[in-house]
Amino acid sequence: MRRWLTEAQQARYAEFKRFVAENVEPFAEDWERSQQLPSELISRMSAAGFLGCSLSREYGGQGWDAVTFGLLNEAFGRASSSLTSVLTVQAMVAMALAKWGTREQKAQWLPRLAGGEVIASFALTEPGAGSALQSLTTTYAQGPRADSFLLNGSKQWITCAQVAGIFLVFGKLEQQPVACLVPRDSPGFTIEPIRELMGFRAAGLATLSFRDVEVPRTNMVGRPGFGFSHVAPVGLQFGRISTACSALGLLRGCFEESVAYAAERKIGASTVGELGMVRSLIAGMGTELQAATLLCLNACKSEDEHAAEAFENALAAKYFTSRAAVKAASDAVQIRGASGCHESSPTSRYYRCAKIMEIIEGTTQIHEQLLGKMFVGQIGVQRASGEQT
Amino acid sequence: MTQNANRNGEIKDTIKRFVTRSINIPDLGDDDDLFESGLVNSLFAVQLMTFLEKTFAIEVEADDLDIRNFRSLEAATNFVAKKNAAKAA
Repeated sequence: MRRWLTEAQQARYAEFKRFVAENVEPFAEDWERSQQLPSELISRMSAAGFLGCSLSREYGGQGWDAVTFGLLNEAFGRASSSLTSVLTVQAMVAMALAKWGTREQKAQWLPRLAGGEVIASFALTEPGAGSALQSLTTTYAQGPRADSFLLNGSKQWITCAQVAGIFLVFGKLEQQPVACLVPRDSPGFTIEPIRELMGFRAAGLATLSFRDVEVPRTNMVGRPGFGFSHVAPVGLQFGRISTACSALGLLRGCFEESVAYAAERKIGASTVGELGMVRSLIAGMGTELQAATLLCLNACKSEDEHAAEAFENALAAKYFTSRAAVKAASDAVQIRGASGCHESSPTSRYYRCAKIMEIIEGTTQIHEQLLGKMFVGQIGVQRASGEQT
Repeated sequence: MTQNANRNGEIKDTIKRFVTRSINIPDLGDDDDLFESGLVNSLFAVQLMTFLEKTFAIEVEADDLDIRNFRSLEAATNFVAKKNAAKAA
């Protein structure tokens, strides 16, 4: 991958990997078992500038490019999908707010998000609506004061909600999609932790309930009618890049663990790695790792170039890498055999977390629907105009 | 006046090339509603916005979020011209 990176990006990637080796890798399994992340570690990540790192320096961020953001998520994803999800949702809310927030909202929240003083959560999914945004039933209505809304409804599977201080909550105002910032301590807002997930167990998921929660109108991000078409996609774009790169890190973990095991584990006089069947699995894993790396880099670079195709490139990267991670995790367990099924091996955690990568930030099937429509539409245009693919 | 008309024509052609590369709408008219065609995907609105920002070096801000700015080739052209004029002022 080095040949594709600048010297500064390579140096930061090395720094991220050092941080992960020291602060994350040895403890990741314990966090999954206890189903929580240590707040002290989040503080250390904040001090290192990792939270809100894509925000400009004007707001206390690092102003890092999307490639560097991707490398950060890849390095963390190698060791802990749960911890990486903090980077994911912080970026989703921060970047949506940086794009569409008012001057006052930016001044109030972005420095706190960049410094990790506040953790953010992106509240979109509902018990009855996931990818079908038009089916959301959470509502904003005229509040008791002229300058306030009343928020009612519920959200489910909301990452980092157990620890977040501010929520970007999507709903409808007179059937128009809107998004508002809702502080954790708002009266009528309750948070119910979700435990015993198969993976991402320390990612702090929760169900949110809003019962006549009064929200100042000044907390609205963007304008009514644009919550789903413009506000959510900016956040989801960073969510997909983050998830794709996190899955890439997991995929690298599967590959590295498998190669190391295959070289060491003996069966009689031979190593496992001398078995053709194992080599076949590792060959597939290594090749998919290379392909996924390039897709993730392509997604990040097109985001840096502010290219219109950045959205479909992020979709393609997330779609391919999450599926490849599931396959790699399954094969990594297979290569290790019984020991791969035990918590003493990271492969069992990879296996549990990889499947979730295919679901968060849009399921594989939604990605297929979106990408299929884009590709078919483009081919139709090319044929109509006689262009070659 | 003629210079502005020419410039607007160039803007419109550029936007049209982007739109027809993204979605298959035969004989797209200047005032055809892009979002009622049923052919655009859910990301088209934000892709169009990103294209306008990058191509014409403008920034779409929260106050610009009005469907009348993006509904058709004509609307998007007028929007870009308005932003450029504000930038030049």
